[in-house]
Amino acid sequence: MSMVYVNMFLAFIMSLMGLLVYRSHLMSSLLCLEGMMLSLFIMMTVTILNNHFTLASMTPIILLVFAACEAALGLSLLVMVSNTYGTDYVQNLNLLQC
Amino acid sequence: MNLFASFMLTSMFMLLLPIIMSNTQLYKNNLYPHYVKTTISYAFAISMIPAMMFVSSGQETIVSNWHWLSIQTLKLSLSFKLDYFSIIFIPVALFVTWSIMEFSMWYMHTDPYINRFFKYLLMFLITMMILVTANNLFQLFIGWEGVGVMSFLLIGWWYGRADANTAALQAILYNRIGDVGFITAMAWFLANMNAWDFQQIFITQHKNLNIPLLGLLLAATGKSAQFGLHPWLPSAMEGPTPVSALLHSSTMVVAGVFLLIRFHPLMEQNKTMQTLTLCLGAITTLFTAICALTQNDIKKIVAFSTSSQLGLMIVTIGINQPYLAFLHICTHAFFKAMLFMCSGSIIHSLNDEQDIRKMGGLYKPMPFTTSSLIIGSLALTGMPFLTGFYSKDLIIETANTSYTNAWALSVTLIATSLTAAYSTRIMFFALLGQPRFNSLSPINENNPHLINSIKRLLVGSIFAGYLISHNIPPTTIPQMTMPHYLKLTALAMTITGFILALELNLAAKNLKFKYPSNLFKFSNLLGYFPTVMHRLPSTMSLTMSQKSASMLLDMIWLESVLPKSISHFQMKMSTIVSNQKGLVKLYFLSFMITLTLSLLLLSFHE
Repeated sequence: MSMVYVNMFLAFIMSLMGLLVYRSHLMSSLLCLEGMMLSLFIMMTVTILNNHFTLASMTPIILLVFAACEAALGLSLLVMVSNTYGTDYVQNLNLLQC
Repeated sequence: MNLFASFMLTSMFMLLLPIIMSNTQLYKNNLYPHYVKTTISYAFAISMIPAMMFVSSGQETIVSNWHWLSIQTLKLSLSFKLDYFSIIFIPVALFVTWSIMEFSMWYMHTDPYINRFFKYLLMFLITMMILVTANNLFQLFIGWEGVGVMSFLLIGWWYGRADANTAALQAILYNRIGDVGFITAMAWFLANMNAWDFQQIFITQHKNLNIPLLGLLLAATGKSAQFGLHPWLPSAMEGPTPVSALLHSSTMVVAGVFLLIRFHPLMEQNKTMQTLTLCLGAITTLFTAICALTQNDIKKIVAFSTSSQLGLMIVTIGINQPYLAFLHICTHAFFKAMLFMCSGSIIHSLNDEQDIRKMGGLYKPMPFTTSSLIIGSLALTGMPFLTGFYSKDLIIETANTSYTNAWALSVTLIATSLTAAYSTRIMFFALLGQPRFNSLSPINENNPHLINSIKRLLVGSIFAGYLISHNIPPTTIPQMTMPHYLKLTALAMTITGFILALELNLAAKNLKFKYPSNLFKFSNLLGYFPTVMHRLPSTMSLTMSQKSASMLLDMIWLESVLPKSISHFQMKMSTIVSNQKGLVKLYFLSFMITLTLSLLLLSFHE
C-alpha cells in the first residue's frame, strides 16, 4: 500500500487511541472524534480522486454532513453535563440518576 | 293646491331647530328645556292641520325631495310618505312627547346636564319621525338605527351605574339581532324586486314572500321585545322615567309593530306569516303578563305591561287587522306614558323609592297622582268607553269572531285577565292601605309642570279613544254582529282578573311564604330566560373556542404530542433501563484493548 494511505491510516489510529484513552475532560474525546472524521474524509477523497471514481464524488460531502450532526449531538450532551456539574470532568458521571 | 305637505314638513323641520341651535348661547342657559318644550307644542299644533285635512278629505301625499344617489338601477331619494298611518301617528307622538318634556322639566330639574337630556330626547323624536314618514326602506332603516342609538344613550344616562351600562348594551345587542332580519329583508327586496320603495314593492307580483317577511318579523321581534328577544325591555327601566315613558312605552317599541303594519299588503296574502305572527304575539303577551305578576319594582311592572300590550298588537296583525293594531298603538301611547309619569311622580315623592312593597297609603297625600294612576290602569285594562276600550275591546271581539288559532285566542284572553290582575296589584300596593314608607318623605305634587303634563295625558286617556276612532276614515269593517257572550268576553275576563287579584291581595295581605313556590320563582325570575340565555350560550361558545383553538391546536398538537412526549418517554425509559455505574474511562479502555487484541490475533491467523 502506498505511503499516503499508511499515513492516513496511522492518523486514524492515533485519533482512535485518543478517543478511547483520556484522562478527565469529555471534550478531548469529542475532539478526537472530529479527528477521526477528518482522517476518514481525507482518505476517502484521495482514494476517489486517484481511482477516478467520479460517481462516488458526493460521498465525502455526505460524510461531512453526518459528522457535523454527530458533533452537534456530542456537544449538546457536553453542554447538558456541564450545566449540571459546572465542568465536564468524566468522574462526575458516576451517579445513576440523570 | 293646499298647504298639506308644507305644513307637515314645517312641523318636522321645526323639531330640528333646537338641535341646530345647540352650538350657540341658547344651549348654555337654563331656558333651553322650556324652549324645546314650546317648540314641540308648536310642532304638534301645526301637525294637527294636515291631520284635520286628512280627516275631512282623505288626502294623502308622498313627498320626494332630493335625489340622493343611484346605484346602477336603484334610485335612492329622500321621500316622505304622509299617509293614514303617518298623519295620525305624528300628532299623537308629538302630543305625548310634549307632555313628557314638560314632565321631565320637573323630574330632571336637579340634573346638571338637563340641556343634554332634552337634546337627546329631541334627537330621538326626530329619528322616530324619520322612521314613521319613510317611504323607502333605506330611510326607514336610518330612523330604525337612530332610535336604537338614542335609546342606548338615554338608557345609560346615569352611566356611573354599572347596571345602567349593562342594560344599555343589552338593548343594543337585542336590537342588533333584529336588525339582521331587517337587512335580510332589504337584501331580498333589492335582489328580487330591485326596489326599496314601498310602492314598487307592493305592486310587484311575487310568489313566495316568506323570506323577507320572516326577516321583517325578526326585526319586529327585536325592536318590539317579543318573546325570544324580550329581556332588554325590563332592563331598560334603568334609564330615567321620562326615557321609559317616551321610548319604552309609546314610541320606540312600537316601531317594530309599525314596520309590520307598513307591510300589511304583503302580509295579507301569506297565511303562514300570519299564523307565525299570531303565535308569537300570543306567547309574548301571556309570558310577559305572567312575569309582571310577581315583580316588585313599579317601573318593571309597567314595562312588562308594555311588553304584553305589544304582544297584543302583534296578535292583531296576526289576525289580519293592521288598522286595529295601529289604533291600539295610538291609544296605548296615552295611558302608558301617563302610567309611567305617575310612577315617576310617586318615585320622586318617596325619595327615589321604586319598590312597591315600600309604598302604600298614597291616596291621601297624593290625590292627583292616585286618580290619574287609577284612570290610566282602567284605560289599560279596557274599561268601557275609556281610551283603551275602543282599541282593545275591538281587538278581542275581532279575534273571537275570526277563524283563528284557538290556542292563541285563549292565551290572549288569559293575558287580558292577567292585565287586570297586575294593574290591581300596582294600585293595591302603591296606593291603598297603610303607608309603608319612611315618614320624612318629600311628598308633594304642587309643581305646575307635573300637574299640567299629567292632566293633558289624563284628558287624552279618557277622550282620545273616542275622538280618534270617530274621526278616522273607514278602513276594514269591524265585526258588527256576534253572540252576546262573545261581545262580553273581554269585559268578563277583565272583571274576573280584578276581583281575583283584589281577593288574593286582601286575603294574603300580611302573610308570607316560608319557601317560595316553583310558580312564584318562575314568574319572579322572568321565566329563567335571562338567567339561562345570558349565561349558557356565552359560556359554551367561549369554552368551546378556547378548547379548540388554544388547547387543541397549540398546546396539544404543537407542544405535547411530539416534543414533550418524546422527552418524557426517553427520560422515563433511561432511568428504568440503565444499570450502569458510569465508569466511562474503563469502558473506553476495554474497547481499545479489545481492538488491539483482535488486531494482533487476526493478523497472525492464516
